[in-house]
Amino acid sequence: MTEFLVDAPQVVIEAVNLTKDRLSSFLKKRTRVLDGLNLEIYAGQTYGLIGPNGAGKTTTVKLLLGLLRPDEGEAKVLGAPSSERENLAQVGFLPENPYFYSHLTGREFLTFVGKLFSLPDDLIKSRVKSLVEKVSLVDACDKPTGKYSKGMLQRLGIAQALINDPKILFLDEPMSGLDPLGRMDVRRILHELKAEGKTIFFNSHLLPDVGELCDRVGLLVNGKMVADSPVSDIAEGGNFKALEDFFLEHVQAAMHATKDSKPHAEQT
Amino acid sequence: MQIIAAIALNTFREVLRDKIIYAFFVFACLISLFGILLGTLSVGQDIRIVEDLGLAAISLIGGIIAVFSGANLVFKELERRTIYLIFSKPVKSWQFILGKYLGLASCLLTIILMMGGFLGALVGFVDPTSPANALTHLPWLALSLALVYLELLFIIASASLFSTFSTPIMSVLFTLCFWLVGHSCASLQDLAKMSTNPAVSKFFAALYWLMPDLQSLTRVRSELMYGRALTTGGGQGELLIYLTTYILAYVIILLVLSALINERRELP
Ligand SMILES: Nc1ncnc2c1ncn2[C@@H]1O[C@H](COP(=O)(O)OP(=O)(O)O)[C@@H](O)[C@H]1O
Ligand SMILES: [Mg+2]
Repeated sequence: MTEFLVDAPQVVIEAVNLTKDRLSSFLKKRTRVLDGLNLEIYAGQTYGLIGPNGAGKTTTVKLLLGLLRPDEGEAKVLGAPSSERENLAQVGFLPENPYFYSHLTGREFLTFVGKLFSLPDDLIKSRVKSLVEKVSLVDACDKPTGKYSKGMLQRLGIAQALINDPKILFLDEPMSGLDPLGRMDVRRILHELKAEGKTIFFNSHLLPDVGELCDRVGLLVNGKMVADSPVSDIAEGGNFKALEDFFLEHVQAAMHATKDSKPHAEQT
Repeated sequence: MQIIAAIALNTFREVLRDKIIYAFFVFACLISLFGILLGTLSVGQDIRIVEDLGLAAISLIGGIIAVFSGANLVFKELERRTIYLIFSKPVKSWQFILGKYLGLASCLLTIILMMGGFLGALVGFVDPTSPANALTHLPWLALSLALVYLELLFIIASASLFSTFSTPIMSVLFTLCFWLVGHSCASLQDLAKMSTNPAVSKFFAALYWLMPDLQSLTRVRSELMYGRALTTGGGQGELLIYLTTYILAYVIILLVLSALINERRELP
């Protein structure tokens, strides 16, 4: 049994029956935004969580990072419960629509983030130097981030997520709001990271990018995981039209299902 | 330690790179200059008028900056969602609060020193005939400035406590109320003594005990300015030490409370 486990790929991100309720700002109504999510992501995998806006993708990432507390179930990263925030030193995170302190320059900001990881000064210096090259911000890194374009901010965001040379990367919508050129930049960086063997978990609703980059996709609709399968099963040879059909078919089916079962939503 | 220093430096830069600070600074200098004008009208009193007006201007401007920056201290990070960036790194809640506090405290120290330096130069300028005479004023001035700073330390601690759970406007109001009550706490004591009902009397006594005693600060400051009796006996020196310890202890309690609240609450 143990011999078998040694060779088995290591689960690095895990969710068991992960459930989260949120209060809407209006009338404080309690809604279930994530419902019984199960996840198992292996070391070195690139996992894409897709779904329409409001499906609960960002909520999932925040739960996995321990930024939110689950109402039921458990999230684990590298074997430790996310709520204990123990393994954050080995995790990189790019928030959705990132804003960074506009009074800092790119270099000052990356140094700041390096210090939050308690890295030694000379290591921070060399990492910042190589990261600004990696994300093509060499010329801009001494300008205040308040003057950055959306694409530059997104790339700076990826650089800050990499400052601790993490094993696992969580990227929330790394490509949304970028022009095609910006998207290509980010795609190139993600390809490099994938080649370096990092585990990447990213949220997106941009299907072509997901189809190109991911090993596995999960589809989240209204807080429920309606499909979770290897990309090769859905879209052979990066055929993203197949992925789009898959997306539409499942989303529509899920919408129908919730409509039919409105009176007793628990049973779906 | 490195984490706290990094957060403090970031806060320090944020406040000092905000242009509005310099507008206030120029304003304080103008008020002090205005003191010279008044001084020339009332012969023989000029130094005292410049000092009085200058100190009043410094404590007012310092107070305004402290209340508003303090109220925005945590809220701004929440509003701009940079707080996700911080807490997705291995940073503890108390490190965050302490770093923010120390950053703002060192900003105010810088501002007070700059305005105080200006005032000191002005005092020297008003009395060019006898530099020795002007020099005797400086220690008093420095001590008064230290007392002003002590009060500001208290203000930013209470503003940061309020800003962990309410909007900036509410925090400003709460802080101003707290500050006012602190300055009129002797009347609480009087109320406690005056009341015939033991329950009411106990209530006011408890309130007096809970509230910060800022009135003594002002009293010592005016004694410094007018009586200048610090050298007569050790009584006042002891009082100063007592007040410093008292305010610092109060600040620590407020910060611990802020850190606890910040730890408990879930990010939005
Ligand atoms: N801070 C919040 N308070 C209350 N409800 C929220 C909050 N953030 C998100 N929600 C709700 O949770 C649901 C899922 O949101 P989210 O995870 O951001 O979706 P996605 O990232 O897939 O677009 C949405 O219906 C949204 O309205
Ligand atoms: Mg989202």
